[in-house]
Amino acid sequence: MNLNIFVQHFINALSLGSLYGLVAVGYTMVYGILRLINFAHGDIFMLGAYFVYFATIVYKLPWAVGVVIAIIGTTICGLLVDRIAYKPLREAPRISALISAIGVSFFIENFAVVVFTGMPRPVVQPPILMQPIVLPGDVRLIPLGILVPIVAFVLVGCLLWLLYRTKPGLAMRAISFDIETTRMMGVSVNRIIALAFGLGSALAAVAGILWALRYPRVEPFMGMTPGIKAFIAAVFGGIGSVPGAMIGGLILGFVEIMSVAFFPTLSGYKDAFAFCLLILILLFRPTGLLGERLEDKI
Amino acid sequence: MQRIRNLILTIIAVVLFAFFLDKAPELLNGYWQRILNLIAINAILALSLNLIYGITGMFSLGHAGFMAIGAYVSALLVLSPAQKNAMWILEDIYPWLLNVNAPFIASIIIAGIVAAFFGLIVALPVLRLGGDYLGIATLGFAEIIRILITNTARLTNGSLGLKGIPAYTTLFMSWGCLGVVLLCMVCMLRSNFGGVLRAVRDDEVAAKMMGINTFKVKVIAFTLGCFGGGLGGALMGNLITTIDPRMFMITQTYNILMIIVVGGLGSVTGSIIGSVLVTTMLEWLRFVENPITIGSINIPGIPGMRMVIFSLLLIIVIIFRREGIMGMREFSWDIFFPKAKPKPKHEKSNHESVLEVEDIVLRFGGLSAIDGLNFNIRHGQIVGLIGPNGAGKTSAFNVISGFYKPTSGTIKFLGKSIGGLSPDEVCKAGMSRTFQNIRLFGHETVLQNVMTGARIRQKYSWWMSLMPFVFTDVLREDSAVKAQAMNLLEQLGLSEFAEEKASSLPYGAQRRLEIARALATRPKLLLLDEPAAGMNPQESDELMKFIRRLRDEFDLTILLIEHDMKVVMNVCDYIQVLDQGIHIAHGTPEEIKANPRVIEAYLGHENTDKETDQIIERHYAKKEGQK
Repeated sequence: MNLNIFVQHFINALSLGSLYGLVAVGYTMVYGILRLINFAHGDIFMLGAYFVYFATIVYKLPWAVGVVIAIIGTTICGLLVDRIAYKPLREAPRISALISAIGVSFFIENFAVVVFTGMPRPVVQPPILMQPIVLPGDVRLIPLGILVPIVAFVLVGCLLWLLYRTKPGLAMRAISFDIETTRMMGVSVNRIIALAFGLGSALAAVAGILWALRYPRVEPFMGMTPGIKAFIAAVFGGIGSVPGAMIGGLILGFVEIMSVAFFPTLSGYKDAFAFCLLILILLFRPTGLLGERLEDKI
Repeated sequence: MQRIRNLILTIIAVVLFAFFLDKAPELLNGYWQRILNLIAINAILALSLNLIYGITGMFSLGHAGFMAIGAYVSALLVLSPAQKNAMWILEDIYPWLLNVNAPFIASIIIAGIVAAFFGLIVALPVLRLGGDYLGIATLGFAEIIRILITNTARLTNGSLGLKGIPAYTTLFMSWGCLGVVLLCMVCMLRSNFGGVLRAVRDDEVAAKMMGINTFKVKVIAFTLGCFGGGLGGALMGNLITTIDPRMFMITQTYNILMIIVVGGLGSVTGSIIGSVLVTTMLEWLRFVENPITIGSINIPGIPGMRMVIFSLLLIIVIIFRREGIMGMREFSWDIFFPKAKPKPKHEKSNHESVLEVEDIVLRFGGLSAIDGLNFNIRHGQIVGLIGPNGAGKTSAFNVISGFYKPTSGTIKFLGKSIGGLSPDEVCKAGMSRTFQNIRLFGHETVLQNVMTGARIRQKYSWWMSLMPFVFTDVLREDSAVKAQAMNLLEQLGLSEFAEEKASSLPYGAQRRLEIARALATRPKLLLLDEPAAGMNPQESDELMKFIRRLRDEFDLTILLIEHDMKVVMNVCDYIQVLDQGIHIAHGTPEEIKANPRVIEAYLGHENTDKETDQIIERHYAKKEGQK
């Protein structure tokens, strides 16, 4: 393995990992607040990719406009999901909301099949992102591969600022400790929950757009596997922790890319790594890398 | 009488249905026969997932994986060597596999057993997780199975799948299997072991205190459920004759989940109704995906529409009627007949020192919850454990009853050391307790709550409950336990509530029920955690009499935590006082009443504050000295 190939793998792992991380952040915020696995999150990610596809390729809008439309559109979808399928179930046993989430995920996927057809559609990448930059040592870098992690880290940085330096962020952290007490402190809990869904969906939209550019195509079920893997990344990093989600995503990205890079015979089992990693972490450190321990009070 | 009537009605219904199945090939076309077959298979799958999730409360999303195992095992056993030779194109089949063959019936049973074996392997590590994590881990496991099947082409023919599986699944076969599964499951759920499963779902902590090894119970339920998954998968493969790994994606699990949610989580009847509705609807909905021609107008089919409608229905059901059609209720012939209420008797132990607690220390990190607790309880005593909030009383209970492992110190119960035993083992040794925040099995009847407490005294094993007509011990022991439970309820004035849901009882009755349930384990020592909490003066007067009566009638020794000083002073023979984890005093009620440290611990008088500070200082100085 020469330097060039190693750098390629490294960049690949970094960008795949940061995409997992971006999606995982959405899972971790919602789970931290509502203790709900938002199964539909992967499909929200898929919607982000479709929005940008239609805006830029079908309606020929400039990319910048397309991206903004996609983020806004996806965020609205995320909010609608919360409003319609989860909000009526806030007082219900958690399992009801979970089944509702499965239903929503199912619905969005199949609705996409009805509206967009099940055929995968190719995405035309803007040439500027694909022009390789040649570095000394014959290392060639595709700008897209560098753009993905940069965008991801900047966005997660902004999110952390929002969570730890602003009032809504404080409210969000308070809700994850005790929703009832936070409500009594005069916080409009439903609005903060909606904010978490909105932020998560916006990040998922960005991840969806970048994903569509990286594997240049969109299809209705594209969110399923990355969604589940991102959730695993969130559990791995410690569910409820935003930096944990990002770290979990990166580790998962590196494990997937590097193991196949070094042991090509394992490529058929690539999708199983995430689950093995999950079962291992749950057995040895059920709270994940950065998670906190929750105890059942007797 | 009632039982015989119901049995006859059931037999008539089964015979009529068998007659119908016999005539079905003439009455119904192939399409409807297939739906009828699918209903039976889906019902088996739904029942098995319901056993895991609805009844035992383990959120599993791995059913598709176990179906896949079952389908492949059965298919590999029934395919002929010639068929196998023709099918493995990309890679050669393992030579040993080529000639492995078994008759259909044997193949589906082996399929179930292999799936159950995998289930057991998964259960051992994964069931230590709770709730959502379990769901994700089982989902992950199902995916791993699918990936393994795709990648082990020499064994499974990889992504090409298996074709031409003989269509052995006839109506009699699928419904026959369902009949057997249903019979075993109903018998098990009606036995006291079934009650234990539901108890684990409702409150695992309380179930442990009833002497139940909850982990073992969960592993059993999970493994049995996986057997059902494998059986269902095998029947499915032999019905549609083609299987490949893509058939067993998470969607498959969702379909089964949909059935049990629609029918009602935890209801066997619900699973059957759910299978009929969901299967029929899924097939019927195919029309929206097929092009329709009405006269000269051609309406093209809409691919994906079927699942859109299906998922919308799932969301609507969960939002507007989340308990499903049946909730947790079951079908019974009794609903057609007016009710007749049955009417239902009790027995008495001796050791000088019942409980000896020596130098118990319990630390969480740097924080000492209990720092050196010593006391003895003699047979027949009623001992009070008192102290202000945060004194470590409930922690002491949790250590004694096995929920917490003490950092150091020994606990001897009836002369034997019980330090480090788990709650269920402590219970088996003869100790039972109640909880500060009442922990009943809320969805169960009052009677079943008490019967769960009696499970540890029953001798029959869980697997006998699948075939109670063979192992009649099950019926005999269950009816004995039921009679004893009724008797207990009578003694505690709860018999009028016997058939009501535990969570629907008034507060005071719930407290008494918790005590009844604890008594059902036949304890020598009973720990009561704030029995008078939330009672008015009159109720607590009754409680005092009740506690003394308990001791005399059941030959008990009682340790109780209580804040109501009137109760403590009147009912206790001896009192132990804790403050901030430190054992500050002990004595008879009169001595305690006059003890300045105790008064100060409760009231915090200034002149005595110093004294306690000195005690605490001396306590730690002594400890330092020891080190």
